[in-house]
Amino acid sequence: MIAPVVPHNSAASSAPFTVLIADDDRINRMVLHAMLQKDGHTVYVAENGQEAVTLFEQHQPDLVLMDVMMPYMDGYEATSRIKALTGERFVPVIFLTAMTDAQALVHCVECGGDDFLHKPYKHAILKAKIAAMERVRQLYATLQSQKNALASHHRRLQREYEVAEKLFSTIVHPGCLDAPHLKYLLSPMAIFNGDILLAARKPSGGLHIMLGDFTGHGLPAAVGAMPVADIFYAMTAKGYAISDIVAEANQKLKAILPTGVFCAAALLDLDATYSQLTIWNGGLPDVLVRQPSGGTLRRLRSQHLPLGVVDNTRLDRSVEVIELMPGERIYAYTDGVIEASAPTGEMFSQPRLEVYLTQDCAPEQVFETICDGLTAFRAGGPQRDDLTLIEITCDAGLANHPSTEATISSVAKAPACWHMALALDAMTLRTLDPLPQIMQMLMALQGLHAHRERLYTILAELFANALEHGLLGLDSELKHTPQGFVAYYTAREQSLAALEHGWINIALTHTAVGPAGQLTLRIEDSGPGFDYQRCPRDLAANTTHSGRGIPLVRALCQALTYHGVGNCVEAVYVWSQEETDVSQHTS
Amino acid sequence: MALVTRISSDGKIVTVDISGRFDFSMHQEFRQVYEQDPGGITQYIINLHQTEYMDSSALGMLLLLREHAGGDRANIKIVHCQPEVKKILTIANFQHLFCLD
Repeated sequence: MIAPVVPHNSAASSAPFTVLIADDDRINRMVLHAMLQKDGHTVYVAENGQEAVTLFEQHQPDLVLMDVMMPYMDGYEATSRIKALTGERFVPVIFLTAMTDAQALVHCVECGGDDFLHKPYKHAILKAKIAAMERVRQLYATLQSQKNALASHHRRLQREYEVAEKLFSTIVHPGCLDAPHLKYLLSPMAIFNGDILLAARKPSGGLHIMLGDFTGHGLPAAVGAMPVADIFYAMTAKGYAISDIVAEANQKLKAILPTGVFCAAALLDLDATYSQLTIWNGGLPDVLVRQPSGGTLRRLRSQHLPLGVVDNTRLDRSVEVIELMPGERIYAYTDGVIEASAPTGEMFSQPRLEVYLTQDCAPEQVFETICDGLTAFRAGGPQRDDLTLIEITCDAGLANHPSTEATISSVAKAPACWHMALALDAMTLRTLDPLPQIMQMLMALQGLHAHRERLYTILAELFANALEHGLLGLDSELKHTPQGFVAYYTAREQSLAALEHGWINIALTHTAVGPAGQLTLRIEDSGPGFDYQRCPRDLAANTTHSGRGIPLVRALCQALTYHGVGNCVEAVYVWSQEETDVSQHTS
Repeated sequence: MALVTRISSDGKIVTVDISGRFDFSMHQEFRQVYEQDPGGITQYIINLHQTEYMDSSALGMLLLLREHAGGDRANIKIVHCQPEVKKILTIANFQHLFCLD
């Protein structure tokens, strides 16, 4: 059997829609009405333009068939008003008119009509025109809904970006970058910065600074910044050294970053007196030190692979130590600075930067001169990479201004009685810095956050003496010259790595003395001791960089006594609740 | 062409010549160098004689090649670097990971 062939009628196959007819001729209205209804459409009829506009407002039809000459309001006027009411919808208006004059037909289109048909017309032609208009209308509707979807997607993304940006800037906060001896320029090329610049005060006074540059820029580069900032601030607050922070950050980044993405970084550690800089530079351009008078720059080259490239077993944590003179300025920057390009494509370059640093210029103007120079050089050209520059002025007076950071709100616990002892052998001393752990225990047991910096300094100085002089036999006389200063720290590193014998015992005893607490810190080493009678007692009289340790500790605690042959030292630190509160408010 | 790959007649040594800017725009081409490895390649030679500039994503691409070629066992030589390019490689201390001439 042969199946009957059903002719495919594209006009009839489209879904039924709503049509508005405006014509003052009753017969015309009836004929159109019957035809459209037969095709399944819903039909509204108006006898003049005025009524057409009213019906349009009420029923929002999909298509309008419009006569031109009508009483009260003609088809031109009605079409203009209807088109003004459609908003973002596309509602086709087809004029059905007996007029053939070209000017009148042009006017149909001018006032918003989409097509026209001469009366008398063949029904098949009208149906075809309606079908064509319906196709256009559907295309328009699809486009419109896609546009809306895109716009709402864009709004959602924008909101998510704002939340993420807020989260990002809370975690990767600038720490104490607002200190008066720090100046910096941050110029990210997207909302998220692939460069990071972090600064935090150490518990012992002094400063940690980290400048990092992740591969690429924008969001993918910025994601890695969050764990790094977390590690940097948490470990600095606990008293860890930069080499420990380097190791922790490297391990984290190696684990989370895909191969090919890494973080070129420099970590700087400035001591409380701003007389010593310890630096680890892995992959950043030379960090430069400028003397107050200008002249030759001191250069701290990248010595290591960037963070996140190799795992910790291959990571070189060794740091460089240099002595600083008052008024010297340290400059660290990312490659975005030297690779900033002029509209001609020429790069700012390392030599140009160094010209700015060595030329005759008031020291306090150097930073601004570089920034202005960069802006002028780029001359409004496009930025290709994130760009960061920081200047640190070695001025302990400026550096130790009252902090604007939030103070720790926890209150010291009531004085208790406890004792804690640690015996460290050579192997432990080679691999572990026990100070952060001891500080953590101390804070957990007694909550002396307001005393943290002083306690850390006492502990750190006495422990360093026991290790460096008692066990490693280093002579601090070495530190008197800049060359010797470097030699001293090289020797320290080598002797410590080779340490086979010896021990250091650390004991902390805390007791209550009425409302006050008394902490006794005793450190004993296996070394030969020293002639403590000869040690300088006056801090002010001592302007050299070595030998400040003991007078400084003496100034910080109630009593400092040596025992035996000088290989055992005991420091007594007394604190009271009132003093704790006061320090919290003023710190 | 900014990137040209040559394979030795015994199929063991791949030489990659890179000219102009070695940056992210070369990512796709550079990837193909090692992704099309039919096996049996024992050494990669990256010739940077014509390279004017490289950025950190180029360093990243070298690390990807290194990983693909066996990580610590990879045999990759970077040769004929111009001073500026050499400087970028040395700042990143890539001499610890690659053989720089």
